[in-house]
Amino acid sequence: MLRFASAVALVLSLVPPALAQKVEVEEFTLPNGMQFLLVPRSDQPNVVSAGWIARVGSVNERPGITGISHFFEHMMFKGTDTIGTRDPDRDGKFRGEQKAIRDEINRLVWTRQYDRFFKGEIDDPWNPANDTQELRVLRARLDALIKAQQGRGEGGPQAGTIVKDEFDQVYTKAGGSGMNAFTTYDLTCYFITVPSNKLELWAWMESDRLHDSVFREFYSERDVVHEERRLRTDSTPTGKFEEQFDSMFWASSGYSWPVIGWPSDLNSYTFEQAQDYWNIYYRPGNLVGIVVGDFDPVRAKQLITNYFARLEPGKTQPPPVVTLEVEQLAEQRMNAVGEVPPAVEIRYHTVPAGHVDSYPLDMLAEILNDRTGRLFKGLVEGRGIAATAQAASDTRKYAGLFAVSAQARGDATPEALEAAWYEELAKLQGEDLPERELRKVKNRVAAQNYRKLESNMSLFVQLAFSEAVLDWREINEGPAKYEAVTAADIRRVANKYFKATNRSVATYRRQAE
Amino acid sequence: MTMRSFAAFALLLATGLPVLAADTATIPKRPEEIAFEPLAFEPPDAKTFRRTLPDGTVAYLAPAHELPLVTVSITFRGGSSLDPADVPGLASMTARMIREGGTAKRKPAEFDEALDFLATEVGVSANETFTTATMNCLKSNLDESLALFVEMLRTPGFDQDRLVTGKARVLESLKQRNDDAASIIGREWKRLVYGPSHFEGAEPTAATVAAIDRGRLAATHQRIVHPGNAIVAVSGDFEEPAMLAKLAKAFDGWERGASAPAPTPPTATLAPGLYHVPKEIPQGKVLIGSRGITRDDPDAIPLVLLNEILGAGGFTSRLMQKVRSNEGLAYSVRSTLQPKVDYPGDFRAGFESKNATVALATKIVLDEIKAVRDELVTEDELDTAKKSVIETFPRQFESKPQMLRVFVNDEWTKRPADYWKTFRQKVAAVTREDLQRVARKHLDPATMAILVVGDWDEIAKGDLQGRATMKEFFGGAVQHLPLRDPLTLEPLPDDKKAP
Repeated sequence: MLRFASAVALVLSLVPPALAQKVEVEEFTLPNGMQFLLVPRSDQPNVVSAGWIARVGSVNERPGITGISHFFEHMMFKGTDTIGTRDPDRDGKFRGEQKAIRDEINRLVWTRQYDRFFKGEIDDPWNPANDTQELRVLRARLDALIKAQQGRGEGGPQAGTIVKDEFDQVYTKAGGSGMNAFTTYDLTCYFITVPSNKLELWAWMESDRLHDSVFREFYSERDVVHEERRLRTDSTPTGKFEEQFDSMFWASSGYSWPVIGWPSDLNSYTFEQAQDYWNIYYRPGNLVGIVVGDFDPVRAKQLITNYFARLEPGKTQPPPVVTLEVEQLAEQRMNAVGEVPPAVEIRYHTVPAGHVDSYPLDMLAEILNDRTGRLFKGLVEGRGIAATAQAASDTRKYAGLFAVSAQARGDATPEALEAAWYEELAKLQGEDLPERELRKVKNRVAAQNYRKLESNMSLFVQLAFSEAVLDWREINEGPAKYEAVTAADIRRVANKYFKATNRSVATYRRQAE
Repeated sequence: MTMRSFAAFALLLATGLPVLAADTATIPKRPEEIAFEPLAFEPPDAKTFRRTLPDGTVAYLAPAHELPLVTVSITFRGGSSLDPADVPGLASMTARMIREGGTAKRKPAEFDEALDFLATEVGVSANETFTTATMNCLKSNLDESLALFVEMLRTPGFDQDRLVTGKARVLESLKQRNDDAASIIGREWKRLVYGPSHFEGAEPTAATVAAIDRGRLAATHQRIVHPGNAIVAVSGDFEEPAMLAKLAKAFDGWERGASAPAPTPPTATLAPGLYHVPKEIPQGKVLIGSRGITRDDPDAIPLVLLNEILGAGGFTSRLMQKVRSNEGLAYSVRSTLQPKVDYPGDFRAGFESKNATVALATKIVLDEIKAVRDELVTEDELDTAKKSVIETFPRQFESKPQMLRVFVNDEWTKRPADYWKTFRQKVAAVTREDLQRVARKHLDPATMAILVVGDWDEIAKGDLQGRATMKEFFGGAVQHLPLRDPLTLEPLPDDKKAP
């Protein structure tokens, strides 16, 4: 239930508003270690948004398996020994045969094809067009096995063992909607909205896939992820540059590789690596279930206990992320030319979520943003050199960044935009923020905290991120911390983090026709 | 919920201190074995929420007290449908400048500061057929927020400096029109389907942006934004009598003009064929489709169900299974049916695939369209589609703002009053034969256009195994459409055209 600690005070005055929400969360942990957060609310009757997070994202990866967290997200929809197959035994045999061939393909590519590539004989070791005869034969056998398993090859439909996308079909038939998942640097999240009377179906389906996902289509699904990469990264005007800028910005941290992974790694994951990942990160002690909506919490708790108790605790604790980002010693620059508008992005290393400085840094982004923010006033309207300008404070589990970006108007250059930001920055570093400006931003942040709770799914996502990165209680405790930020705090963090040696700058220019 | 766990539930309520034992023995073997309690849902009746203000304006009110927020939304009839032929984008720019240009009394900066200090969000936007203004504020400052909102709508300032800045910003976004293939294909598809002179297919250019001045904005505002052309919707934390009084005051003395006319149907017809627009990217973007149906077409419900089965039903749909799951040719593949109220909308299937497999994926999509014409869908497919549509039906009314949007749209577009009451029965009554009949009537590959944006030299060759090339479609006759100058939309010279 959402309750409010006190009435909303007058925000018109300069008196701080007593604006505080309290989201009441029923929290419990099963004996196997899986934690649950339940938020019953009846304002939107008949529906429940439910899901779970795994406390794992690309930051937990290492070179060689980058993108495997995201690949797991795809695998989790491929079924179990019950869902997704009409014959689990024969299906298992198909998977075993595919694994043997793919292991051999990988071995040949990593040795011979990589060697040919290093010597300049071929342009891409993974492109099937460059296959040796031996690889061609293996790849044809793998394709034939994949088709046969789907019932589209040797033996016809009778020989097939897969029931395609059965996981989705079961939910679709039951009125599930918005079924999806996402992977970020710090977490992987799976969710759906179901009618209130189908919560038991949710418990069945989710505990089943957490109990015995079999990584069906482990090899063929990579083509889909390659297409996803082409769509998001390679075929968009700025995707490739942003990926490179990210990996330039982060020196040692696990945030330096993209969530979707490097293409060579995506081709290389082995079944054993996936199994290891599963055993470490997809065991109940590393999972949190979240249910928001119109349901009876006592019944829900019994259902959840019945179903999720079947998950076996993991034997291996997830290893800590030990590699810290090293201190940056000199400004870094990337000058990109492409089908992009002239623009600039200036980035600074900051602090992780929950750090005492993260609150003034978040407030600082608000001071810069929107129609009455300093970037609009200074760059868009005042100097008339920017078409758009915005700031973002991105605090993650293990590190953070602050970014200011602007797109040029007319003939303005990226350098002019950059220089204008440094002038605006000097004011923030040299003068305390006027009281009214700070009050305005605090009012907006406080109202925004309510707006985030308006829909079940939005509250679900707040809880997921807060719990994965920090603690779910942050959604109740955060507002007071923002309210406590002072003008001196903001001036202090502006001086502490926004230094030339701590920044990376990307300039973008349009390719001449 | 099984009987055993139900008993446990009762016990827990009594003790109030749940220490639960897991009852894993009751887990059914398959999800179909779970028995669900019935979930009763009747769609809300619009009349219950409908009120009339003293000046005659209709207002829908739906209080909800969970959060201390209030949303006021006013929908005006007319959007780009009212744009003069020589100034496409005028309604959009007018909406933007109503929000950005201050008021008669307040300079823009003063107006914006006042709203931001209250933490009140105000937005104005125009789509093809409606202009919508929305205000969301804390309950505690509803009066001040509503006063500013109404001041903006009744007496917008259209500040000249803001107009200059606004036009410059639009111009910068026009320059980026060809950067992303997604915006190219969206633009060219509408040109093909509706023609460049109808408002659905018309696009602003640098010259049309330059032609917009304060006089045009004021005339457009006068035509669209007035009580004679408005329906109000209010949801959130308020009491009805007080809200009605506030609205009456807000609308008092506001001159009622005539309601805007219905949109004009397009006269262009889609010429079937294979079309290509050049763009050097490693993945071709494809749309396949034709003009579709109007919203009130008697075939609409069976066609929606058919589209679910074909390509709108996510992973359960045929296109997703064949193109993505089986073949790994695309990440995203879907079909959409966009019926319009006043004229037929379009049907389109679309995907993105690496250059070599664009032809193969196109072939599979067309085969699937042919298949729903040639053969009955399976009982199971129809059953799944029906259950999905029926079971997700309540979601349209899930939140109060969503519910009010349905009511307002229904009133503007004169949807029959019993439409939602009988909707699920109509869905349940559809047969496999109905689906085949509407497939044959409305989805004919021979009448469709295939639009490809990408690197034609690479795409035309087809896949390594020779499973498909672009020659298979329309006898390989491809019309190379030019990439257009982003500022003038005049054709650019194309040196990458295939021989």
